[in-house]
Amino acid sequence: MDTQVKEIIARVLNVDPGVITDTLCSGDIPQWDSVGNLAVLSTIEQELEVEFPLEDLFDLTSVRSIIDEVNKLTK
Amino acid sequence: MIYAPHSPLLCDIAAHAANNPDKTAVVVGDNRVTYAGLTDNVGRAALFLRSCGLERGDRVMLAANKEVEFIYCYLAAHLLGLVNVVVDSASPQERIDYIVSVTHPALVLGNGISVDGCRPAAFDAIDWSAGETQAAVPAGTTACDVADVMFTTGTTGVPKGVCLSHANVAASARNTNGFIGTDAGDIEALALPLSHSFGLGRLRCVLMAGATIVLVNNFANLKTFFNVIEQEHVTGFGMVPAAWQYIKRLSGRRIARFAEQLRYVEIGSAAMPVEDKRLLMELLPHTRLCMHYGLTEASRALFTEFHAAADHLESVGRPASDRVEAVVLDDEGNAVPDGVDGEICVRGNMVTGSYLLPDDNQGAFFGDWFRTGDWGHRTANGDFFLTGRKKELINVGGEKVSPVAIEQAIKRLGIADCACIAVPDPNGVLGEVPKAFLCRTAGAPCIEEIKAGLTQLLPAHEIPVEWEWVDNIPRTASGKIQRLKLKQ
Repeated sequence: MDTQVKEIIARVLNVDPGVITDTLCSGDIPQWDSVGNLAVLSTIEQELEVEFPLEDLFDLTSVRSIIDEVNKLTK
Repeated sequence: MIYAPHSPLLCDIAAHAANNPDKTAVVVGDNRVTYAGLTDNVGRAALFLRSCGLERGDRVMLAANKEVEFIYCYLAAHLLGLVNVVVDSASPQERIDYIVSVTHPALVLGNGISVDGCRPAAFDAIDWSAGETQAAVPAGTTACDVADVMFTTGTTGVPKGVCLSHANVAASARNTNGFIGTDAGDIEALALPLSHSFGLGRLRCVLMAGATIVLVNNFANLKTFFNVIEQEHVTGFGMVPAAWQYIKRLSGRRIARFAEQLRYVEIGSAAMPVEDKRLLMELLPHTRLCMHYGLTEASRALFTEFHAAADHLESVGRPASDRVEAVVLDDEGNAVPDGVDGEICVRGNMVTGSYLLPDDNQGAFFGDWFRTGDWGHRTANGDFFLTGRKKELINVGGEKVSPVAIEQAIKRLGIADCACIAVPDPNGVLGEVPKAFLCRTAGAPCIEEIKAGLTQLLPAHEIPVEWEWVDNIPRTASGKIQRLKLKQ
């Protein structure tokens, strides 16, 4: 799942996959702005068939936190 | 110490440095710069610019990123009577190339930008520890000299350079501070881009007031943004309506935690739904919620404050100060009675004197009244209301997008004819997004291929969200696209 999530983030933000490390956070690179973040979250929801709970969205700020959330939702 | 009588902005900053040298002016991450440190570094940057051989009136293309060195260099150019050409380093290369071709910068300065044929310099080329910090203003420099050329979206798809004088940029800040009430006690978080009129204007407002500005990359990471508000005791910030949609969606009602702390929020660059205004009023009942109406050419022309205008929240407000006037004129430039729609036109101390290219000035003014291109009316009470837009721009979350620029890019990918219009953002965040109508012809590329091709030609926000194949594009007898028909 780690690889899939990172691949989606890199594709949506149109950046080199090597940029997408566990510790990268929204806002850290120009491409990951607020519009980019919404696109990242909605694409992951569609492609991995998960639905992020509204109350969790605020905390999904790093690549790692998004991967952990997807893992939790697909268990 | 800075001495720059031609620049009211620099005069105010110098006064703050003299009267309150240890006051924090700018915070970027762990770096805290005092007003004394700010003026010293403006002097060092000015000495560097002078060492490059630049002379009064020369243009400096400056990459506007959230770096304190940008602020030093921006103000240093003002000090020397140079002209800043402020650009977003993430702009498509075509846009940068065009701006270079019309401004002929003597120097390109900043990180993440380089241009063929110009001398690029990174901020670290400047000796920020130099002991010498005094740079003299060239003789003859006046407040009427152009300080900045800001590029805005033109209806034809070609960016238009807006010339703003030292007097213009200072007047806009004073008008804005006068309305909002920003003062030396304020601490502002700036998440808006510095390459845009709104974000750069906020920077000038804060520094003229002698307040503190905290630079934040953007709104994407709301945890960071809220941490900054809490830890830096932030009392104000600026945002576009799309940012509020984002904050609301991802953080719910969390901003209400700061209701007793936030003295003001400035909103602008796009229309805001009334229900969003009401929600902000509910969550921040004691905060001045100030929304401006304006353009790069006439920054912050009108203002409204939501709590004070609770019974007419649809209004875009009244002139920002007694130095600003607004009228509604017909196609011949004659005033129309209150309540009758026409073109909103403004004049005042912050209005540009001209565009960079003479051709762009044609039809831009009625005498000294700047034509906004927006339709609306004034009520007998003096409040202005927008009812439509004469210029065919698409407002994507505050970013003005020319449909013509999108159409040209699509045609380059092998589509014979097409047209773009604004449609409501299906996600309810950006306000408007582009929709493309494509003329169906044999051998045309598929939509996925066009989308992929556009990522190389346009910024992400300009790529259409909705697509539709049609047999032909409706046009007038003179060949002009009938966009209203497409909207139906």
